Amino acid sequence: MAEEAAATIEDYDFSGTTAGASDVFPSEAGQIKKGGYIMIKGRPCKVVNVSTSKTGKHGHAKANFTAVDIFNGKKVEDVVPTTHTTYVPNVNRSEYQLLDIEDGFVSLLQEDGGTRDDLKLPDYPEGFDQEILKAYQDGKSLSLSVLSACGIDQIIAYKEEA
Amino acid sequence: MQVSVSMGSPDTVAVPPSTHETAKTAVLLPSDLLPAETPTVQGFDWNAAISSPEGVTLHGLLGSYLTTGFQATNLGLAIKEIERMRAWRLNDVPVATDEDEDLIDPGVRAQIKCKIFLAYTSNLISSGLRETLRFLVEHKMVDVVVTTAGGVEEDLIKCLAATRLGDFTMAGAELRKRGINRIGNLLVPNQNYCLFEDWLTPILHAMATEQTADGQRWTPSRLIERLGREIDHPDSICYWAAKHGIPVFCPALTDGSLGDMLYFFSYKQPEFAIDMVADIRRLNDEAVHAKATGMIILGGGLVKHHTCNANLMRNGADFAVFVNTGQEFDGSDSGARPDEAVSWGKVRADARPIKVYGDATLVFPLLVAQTFAKDEVLTARKGMGNGVGTGGNGVGECKRSRIE
Repeated sequence: MAEEAAATIEDYDFSGTTAGASDVFPSEAGQIKKGGYIMIKGRPCKVVNVSTSKTGKHGHAKANFTAVDIFNGKKVEDVVPTTHTTYVPNVNRSEYQLLDIEDGFVSLLQEDGGTRDDLKLPDYPEGFDQEILKAYQDGKSLSLSVLSACGIDQIIAYKEEA
Repeated sequence: MQVSVSMGSPDTVAVPPSTHETAKTAVLLPSDLLPAETPTVQGFDWNAAISSPEGVTLHGLLGSYLTTGFQATNLGLAIKEIERMRAWRLNDVPVATDEDEDLIDPGVRAQIKCKIFLAYTSNLISSGLRETLRFLVEHKMVDVVVTTAGGVEEDLIKCLAATRLGDFTMAGAELRKRGINRIGNLLVPNQNYCLFEDWLTPILHAMATEQTADGQRWTPSRLIERLGREIDHPDSICYWAAKHGIPVFCPALTDGSLGDMLYFFSYKQPEFAIDMVADIRRLNDEAVHAKATGMIILGGGLVKHHTCNANLMRNGADFAVFVNTGQEFDGSDSGARPDEAVSWGKVRADARPIKVYGDATLVFPLLVAQTFAKDEVLTARKGMGNGVGTGGNGVGECKRSRIE
């Protein structure tokens, strides 16, 4: 995992998941609602808005999705016929206690008592990594939220523990 | 007692004319004699026709239109204008001083015909007039077609599913609930458009690939040609146009179901592009390089203006027939009479263009019956489905563009 974490997000190709992986599951596009998740151009995204146009002169009923990439915040759009099968990413969020930060990598305490050292400080949003580093260096006790989807893990939030 | 007098010299005693006399002079004002050759208004002689061997025939009836007056006369004049358009040959005009070397020979000049532009609005393709328009294109009786997006897609959709007859009075909200779209008194179910989408989308993907991989530059006319090949159905105008190399121009290709499909397609393939500039070049060049042109324009709006404007490039068409329901009082181009086109140089000042006021579904089949359908080459070779007819504007058959 260490070498994968060092690569950039763009190196990942999500379009071909293997049968055994549960990174994504199929869903009828018409079933995906605002606040849900959807794969757009191979990226896991959170749906910010859906508008549907009923069947008409333009053909089958369509769902027009406005979504935000969950890892880099980019706004993306897609239009899918509501009866088409599209993919929804399996998104998980876990909390870990921060043990150490070294060379930009964090050391996290896992539930089973072991440590996890493969995650880098996040490069999105801008300056977030510095923020975490400073909080840690100020001696605060931090718990980090890690978002997981499609084989990517990324720190997306932190909390100060009392 | 003296009666006061109102007019006349002081010497005469003028008596005011009685009311009777005034009225009589007004009504029975002697008229100028019209020239003897002025045609007489004369309608169809039913008795003569019924008692004749052939009985009442369409051609006999239409023959009477010229002298019947009002729009019947205009129809008769339009028939004459189309006959002139079809009969014109380059050897009708003297050899120009700067004429091309290979256009001097009288034998060659006798082969060169007037280039005919056929323009029609999309509602006419939704209607059964589509069959009449297809007939003209099938037999290469026109050289250039100008239409709107609906004029292309309704023609293709009819090969996938039928348009149905309805009624002008069917309630909109009810139809929407049932998923049926109304065009006047015609009905097109949503399902027809779904079939169109399913048919079109893979073709668009292939076209996008050709654009990226082979550098193919798509224009509306090339796209329509491709769709004509893909539909591969003898009922379709686009099919015959592609087969005979007759370009179909549609600058507002996005204004219809095709546009909807392109909109959705742009989410999948944002780089797919359609070049309008190349098409205006192609259309205007068709007019500029023609030795004579005729326009047959059914309807108004874009199809009318775009066709006339192309002919502006050659200082005006030599022949023109407009059939539409437009009125000029609002200053619209749709309602403008041919004389307004003359003021722009879209029709030549010495031409005899004619406008027939009326619904083309009523008027145009009659026009075709008296002109194109009486084509000697066509009627002589009955049963041949290989598109015999007039066409081309060079020596013999000229090769039209394939997908370049």
